[in-house]
Amino acid sequence: MVVPVRERALSYAILTAMAILVLIPVLAGSLTAFKPQIIWISSPPVWFFEPTLENFEFVLITRQNWLHLRNSLIISIGSVVIALVLGVPAAYGFARFRFRGSKELMQWLISLRMIPPIVVGLPFYAMFLFLERATGLGLRDTHIGLILTYQTFLLPLVIWMMRGYFVELPAAMEESAMVEGYTRIGALWRVVLPVVWPGIVATALLNFIFAWNEFFLALILAGNNTSTLPMAAGTYIVRARVEWGNLFAVNLIIMIPVIVLTIFLRQQLVKGLTFGILE
Amino acid sequence: MKVVLKDLLKDFKSAHAVAVNRINLEIKQGELAVLLGPSGCGKTTTLRMIAGLEQPDSGRIYIAERDITDLAPKDRRVAMVFQNFSMYPTMNVYDNIAFPLHAIKMDRNEIDRTVREVARLVNIDQLLERGLRQVSGGEAQRVALARAMVRRPEVFLMDEPLSNLDAKLRVQLRTEIKRLHQDTGATFIFVTHDQEEAMTLGDKIIVMNRGDIQQVGTPHQVFFTPRNAFVANFVGTPSMNMLPGSLRIEESGRMFVALPGFELELPRRFAAGLRMMTSHHVIWGIRPEAIKLVPAIGGNCVPGEVELVEALGSRDLMFVRAHDQLFGVIVDAQDSLPVGETCLLHFDGAHMHLFDAESELSLLHDEEAKGA
Repeated sequence: MVVPVRERALSYAILTAMAILVLIPVLAGSLTAFKPQIIWISSPPVWFFEPTLENFEFVLITRQNWLHLRNSLIISIGSVVIALVLGVPAAYGFARFRFRGSKELMQWLISLRMIPPIVVGLPFYAMFLFLERATGLGLRDTHIGLILTYQTFLLPLVIWMMRGYFVELPAAMEESAMVEGYTRIGALWRVVLPVVWPGIVATALLNFIFAWNEFFLALILAGNNTSTLPMAAGTYIVRARVEWGNLFAVNLIIMIPVIVLTIFLRQQLVKGLTFGILE
Repeated sequence: MKVVLKDLLKDFKSAHAVAVNRINLEIKQGELAVLLGPSGCGKTTTLRMIAGLEQPDSGRIYIAERDITDLAPKDRRVAMVFQNFSMYPTMNVYDNIAFPLHAIKMDRNEIDRTVREVARLVNIDQLLERGLRQVSGGEAQRVALARAMVRRPEVFLMDEPLSNLDAKLRVQLRTEIKRLHQDTGATFIFVTHDQEEAMTLGDKIIVMNRGDIQQVGTPHQVFFTPRNAFVANFVGTPSMNMLPGSLRIEESGRMFVALPGFELELPRRFAAGLRMMTSHHVIWGIRPEAIKLVPAIGGNCVPGEVELVEALGSRDLMFVRAHDQLFGVIVDAQDSLPVGETCLLHFDGAHMHLFDAESELSLLHDEEAKGA
């Protein structure tokens, strides 16, 4: 497709304006993270100053937010891994086999995705409490407890996205491998998964972002041992004031992995998200 | 290896009719058998059951006397080529051909030797390093053939492997498959809906419709002595002229068939088939090639007018209206008549077909049409 120069210039101008609009608060906030406390909220804002890492030092070491960072990493990565391990084979099953209720099951899964977290947060808390009293199995304030809870939202996303990728592929692909000496699982592993790999990467990234950003369920179900970075960020908004520099330092720590991952996986992501659209 | 199907039944439940209705079939060692029929006739389902990709509801499948009905596809020692899949997209040509060999843990050097040898056989030895996007549709299907050959299977299953290719390539690969069959001496089972493909390829043709085998025979048998009206109509392009009629037998023994508007005399060879008739209602048929244009009126002649002419190359297909019926007539191009011209059609008794209107079975079926 050839777009005339003038139209292209116009679309770039609009996109640039939008990008600036979105980036200004992010940039201003990120700058604040490097400001010494006295100029956090100076008016008019100071744009040129000697950057300092004292906010980061304060949040990570003094307030021990490195523990929250560790919790966030464990919970997010653990959630994504479990969602993929369970969800990818399930998606393949839904794509290839029809069984009684398979359609209804898929619809039920997407309905889970539409539930606001608040609807499941308290029941999960009650369930964990009951389980603890009945069996002594404590899931409150554990990494695995949050990881399991997040599956409510991650599994439907994995199954729906991956099923779309599998449906696009001809069944003859793995059938061919099955005739050529492999089991169905072997065919899935050696032939199908390499083809849908960009889709898996895209799915994993979207799921990671969900788990990484999740605040509400963590607020209810996490405790001192498991509280995550978004919760840590919340502690800098206190009754009388907002500790802007510290808040933005944590925000930046939250943003960086997502930005880095997205840039790093950009090619796979675009391929995965446009799977089947091109060609 | 001999392939035997015994009372094979497959019912998908969702469809109206059963997919494969208790069929029995024997395909001899080294034979190239073609399963031919319209879409939904059960031919692909039959092939997939032999491959192990569908499980039959009942019945058994034997390859070389070995009951393979309950074996996984990988343990059946068959190879399969598919219509809508040719190459694993994440592997290049070389790795595609080597793929079945990795399953049997063959050593690297031997894999390399085998891959190159097979690639040479199907003329893709120049393309070994290429990926799916760098080969044409025909080349990709050759890769599929190479992958099928590489483990030297004794039975090749082919599910319309040429249907997605353009006409010229189709004919070219058809010849190569035939050559491959001769070189390997393996048993081939080839599924197609294209009766020309079936005719040119097959040693044996199995015509299927609605889950049942209609006829088993050589290409000549299914063409010249169709067992029933379905086979007569399905095999041959353009298809057979067919009309409903009723039989009339004179005291002298002469037989006639009354067709809409005119009557024709039938040859004696139909007499034996009369025993199986349930009524005097029949379906009469004659192939377009068998109708002749004659200069003067005589027995079994009908006057008509040319309504449409299609050029087929060296021959023309004329549509002639006679007694309000439209007949397809194939003539040499130089004998072709212009539209609007009148002519005389002669129906030679030797080429006529007659089927019971009720059972649709050929009246010749007992003597000649039994098939192989």
